[in-house]
Amino acid sequence: MVQINFAKREINCKLVYYGPGLSGKTTNLEVVHKKAPTSKKGDLTSIATEGDRTLFFDYMPLELGKVGGMNTKFQLYTVPGQVYYNATRKLVLQGADGVVFVADSQPDKMDENLESFANLEENLREQGLDPKTIPMVLQWNKRDLPTVMSPEELDAKLNKYNSPTFEAVAVTGEGVFPTLKRLAQMVLEKLNQEYGLDSKKSSKSSSKAAAKPAAKAEPKPEPVAEKKPEPKPEPKPEPVAEKKAEPKKAEPKKAEPKKAETKAAETKAAAAPKKEWEGVVLGSRAEPEKSGAGKTIGILLFVVVLVLGGLVGAGYKGKAPGKIQKFYNDNLKARLGGGTSGKTGAKTNAKTGDEAPKTASDSGKSEKSK
Amino acid sequence: MRPSDTDQKLRNQRLIFYEDDVEQINRGLENYQQLSKSRCNMLIDVEGHAVTQVGSTDGINLETIAALVAGSVAATKEVAKILGEKEFTSLTHEGKHESIQLSVVGNRTILATIYDQEETTTGMVRFYTKELVEKLQGIFDDIQNRKDPVRGVFDDTGISGLDDVLDDMFGDV
Repeated sequence: MVQINFAKREINCKLVYYGPGLSGKTTNLEVVHKKAPTSKKGDLTSIATEGDRTLFFDYMPLELGKVGGMNTKFQLYTVPGQVYYNATRKLVLQGADGVVFVADSQPDKMDENLESFANLEENLREQGLDPKTIPMVLQWNKRDLPTVMSPEELDAKLNKYNSPTFEAVAVTGEGVFPTLKRLAQMVLEKLNQEYGLDSKKSSKSSSKAAAKPAAKAEPKPEPVAEKKPEPKPEPKPEPVAEKKAEPKKAEPKKAEPKKAETKAAETKAAAAPKKEWEGVVLGSRAEPEKSGAGKTIGILLFVVVLVLGGLVGAGYKGKAPGKIQKFYNDNLKARLGGGTSGKTGAKTNAKTGDEAPKTASDSGKSEKSK
Repeated sequence: MRPSDTDQKLRNQRLIFYEDDVEQINRGLENYQQLSKSRCNMLIDVEGHAVTQVGSTDGINLETIAALVAGSVAATKEVAKILGEKEFTSLTHEGKHESIQLSVVGNRTILATIYDQEETTTGMVRFYTKELVEKLQGIFDDIQNRKDPVRGVFDDTGISGLDDVLDDMFGDV
């Protein structure tokens, strides 16, 4: 599970190489360790038997560098492939962010491949991970051997989730980096979809990757990978709406153009992610609600004032203080050409509602009785 | 379970640390380190990623130790289950000079205390650990209960520089 550490400005992801025994998982890791720049890699640690069969896991840290201002690190693990070690495989798979399934291309190994893939699905589900949505890449290894199945056959039998596939000869290093590179892209794209500032940037990056010519080792061009149903996270407010709402919340006093404000707010957000979290998300959700509610309340108040005005006017019809009545009689009555104030009031009330005249006459009666 | 539910569940479980969280954790760790006279204290999540550390880490490969510690605790948890326990909350590996004590904090993190047998004792370390674990538990409860809407992990460039970073690492394959 990706750990996001804003204090270190660091993202940690866990990638796991899975597959049947002797399919080449540890070899993949050894090649990555051998070829990765020294400054970017940590030690390769293996908990293995004396015969070099993985007992628990192989592990190496790999520091990718800065992506979107965050130092991105991958922890690469392999699982023990032998059927016997399923308990330890589950432990290694715990919290995985991406999986490389390394399959042996030889026809007589297909049953083991199938068994291992089914085991992967089962263990993923047991860990609360969904095999359909977890970033996954399949590697057809040992392509240099004389008897191998065609990529199409392997694809038909093993590629249940339309994952990207790569041919490889791990012992020579062929296909090892393209496999890892694609998985790294998928993991970070998924993370960007979930937590990025602007999900459009993620699709931009995807299209860039898709536009690249497929590597020689790739039997399936990358656009095919893009067909893979990407996991749709929770419905999110439109990023554009967020940007509009954000400056209002973050810098309410400024009367700058919106674009400039947005950029400033985003820069500020990069410097202080927590503030950005509060500002962007809460701001974007609160602002539109506030304006919508304000309108509704305004309209309701207007209607209430109109109705009350009518009622009060009717209520005061016969009770207007003498001075006001006199002022009306002297100055306004002739100009308006109306009758008595009482009649005017009654007409008005008749237009506004049925109850009002009744109340007015009641009121008049009570005045008379007094 | 629908994929969206699974994804949501994962997001809810995901640990996200802000500077304030880590400062708060570090203050607790520093205080504990002085009291227990331990050499180094690390906080590690159950997936094996180091969260933070205080004290002298000279000669210690933190990343590797984090991965191994997480594996060790996970394996021991399975042993506990077989024995009918939910988990073992504390593990101690004693060496001739250096020792390490692992304490489970909540359900997502592990405290690893490395100490020198000549500077302190296992009993001292255990004694002060209990108080710290409770304190950390409170901090982690706050972190986990924090509502999800975190946006902007990456800056305004997003992951547009990813291809270049990958090319630097792996070559333009």
